[in-house]
Amino acid sequence: MIQLQHLTKRYGDALAVDDLSFNIEPGHVTGFLGPNGSGKSTTMRMILGLDAPTSGQALINGRRYTSISKPMHEVGALLDANAVHGGRSAYNHLLCLARTNGIGPARVAEVLEQVGLAGVARRRVRGFSLGMKQRLGIASALLGDPDVLMFDEPVNGLDPDGVRWIRDLMRSLAAQGRTILLSSHLMSEMALTAERIVIIGRGRLIAEATVTELTARYPSLEDAYLALTAGSLEYGAAR
Amino acid sequence: MKATLSSEWLKLRSVASTYHAIGTAAMTMVLGVVWALYVSALAEDRGSLRAAAPEQGFLPLLQISLAVLGVLAITTEYATGMIRTSLTTVPKRSTFLLAKAGIVAIATFTAALSILLVTYSVSRLIIGGHQVGFNDSAFTDDLPMLLASVLSVTCLALVGLGLGAAIRSTAGAILSVVALLFVLPGAANYLPPPWNTRVAPLLLPNLVPQIADQRLSSRLGDGFLSPPAALALLLAYPLIALALGYYVLKRRDA
Repeated sequence: MIQLQHLTKRYGDALAVDDLSFNIEPGHVTGFLGPNGSGKSTTMRMILGLDAPTSGQALINGRRYTSISKPMHEVGALLDANAVHGGRSAYNHLLCLARTNGIGPARVAEVLEQVGLAGVARRRVRGFSLGMKQRLGIASALLGDPDVLMFDEPVNGLDPDGVRWIRDLMRSLAAQGRTILLSSHLMSEMALTAERIVIIGRGRLIAEATVTELTARYPSLEDAYLALTAGSLEYGAAR
Repeated sequence: MKATLSSEWLKLRSVASTYHAIGTAAMTMVLGVVWALYVSALAEDRGSLRAAAPEQGFLPLLQISLAVLGVLAITTEYATGMIRTSLTTVPKRSTFLLAKAGIVAIATFTAALSILLVTYSVSRLIIGGHQVGFNDSAFTDDLPMLLASVLSVTCLALVGLGLGAAIRSTAGAILSVVALLFVLPGAANYLPPPWNTRVAPLLLPNLVPQIADQRLSSRLGDGFLSPPAALALLLAYPLIALALGYYVLKRRDA
């Protein structure tokens, strides 16, 4: 379970995240939506202890992330698939991460198999497509077999087969009783994958509801999203 | 800590830049051989001469190549964005930086020691009985200078790591190391007396001869630091840089 309590992040005059409070419960996929610049990634970085909140706090299973000594066993995260050293092989990249938390090479081989990269494990990441890097990022999140998982835009760059694979993976991970936070801009995909939705705009909570509730009130999840975020677009093109 | 050390060791071993840096540093041995052949040929003609020892003359090459290794150990993490993944696996930033420092120290110390010992012995073997000035002292007399040189390489690499953590940019950190190694000592040489002899002995490359109780240069004389004081100052350079790096790593968002 992830709990946000009055989480706030200020950069100079700008409030990137403004008093966010909500809980992300285990057992289902929670979709995390919001326009570009709405504070989704900043929120995720604060949950992971990478950015320090200006005020408030984020707790994972009741604890601050930075107080967990072997965090990969509790939390797995994919923030940016491109954030890897291109000169390292997929296997070595994962083993570098695994070793910090005492995870062995057998588990590295296992997750590489699970995400479908076993055949290219010894190749340098530089040559990977975005879709392959997404799979590598998902593999790194799964290494410690954690109960809480967060994915920032994992579907970008994947082929239709990969999109289907991620959808099934997310749902099966949630069905095992894990907490899944998934951010994406693909509404149709979100409607198929998530059960609950959290929408933020300009750093503030706009809506927290189930997909069923939203699609009952609006024609589709996309319509619900567009109607709810209409007032909080940071970068909207003229129409 | 042990787990983080083993991860950092693999990080260092699994990128090509490490081998490029050590390969460039190892050029010292090749240059040492060329230099030894050249001065023995000269000695053949002239009978005897006073030449500089290759392990001292080519030391700056070793220092700068392995300092780059120290810089890259942290700045590639920022350049690729890997730093965020690294800090989610090791949230304690002191552990993260200490593990990096430990691995950079061991790798650069071992590499520098091997390279300098090979350069030293091979050049003396080539020169044999010729009198070239630097081959008339016993190995035990040369040992303090050799060890001080190796230590200076490791200290400079750790300065690179610390400044890399503070600046977060490869170019910026390498520029700072180049300034410490080449620009500041060069400029200090030309300060008006007595400031040149007051400032120059405090600069990193000039600490090596002072630790070994040797003369700095004909222009700068002996230097005023005792061997223990020079050693303490040499160690202070990486400590200050790493403290600065840790402060920024701890206080700023990743």
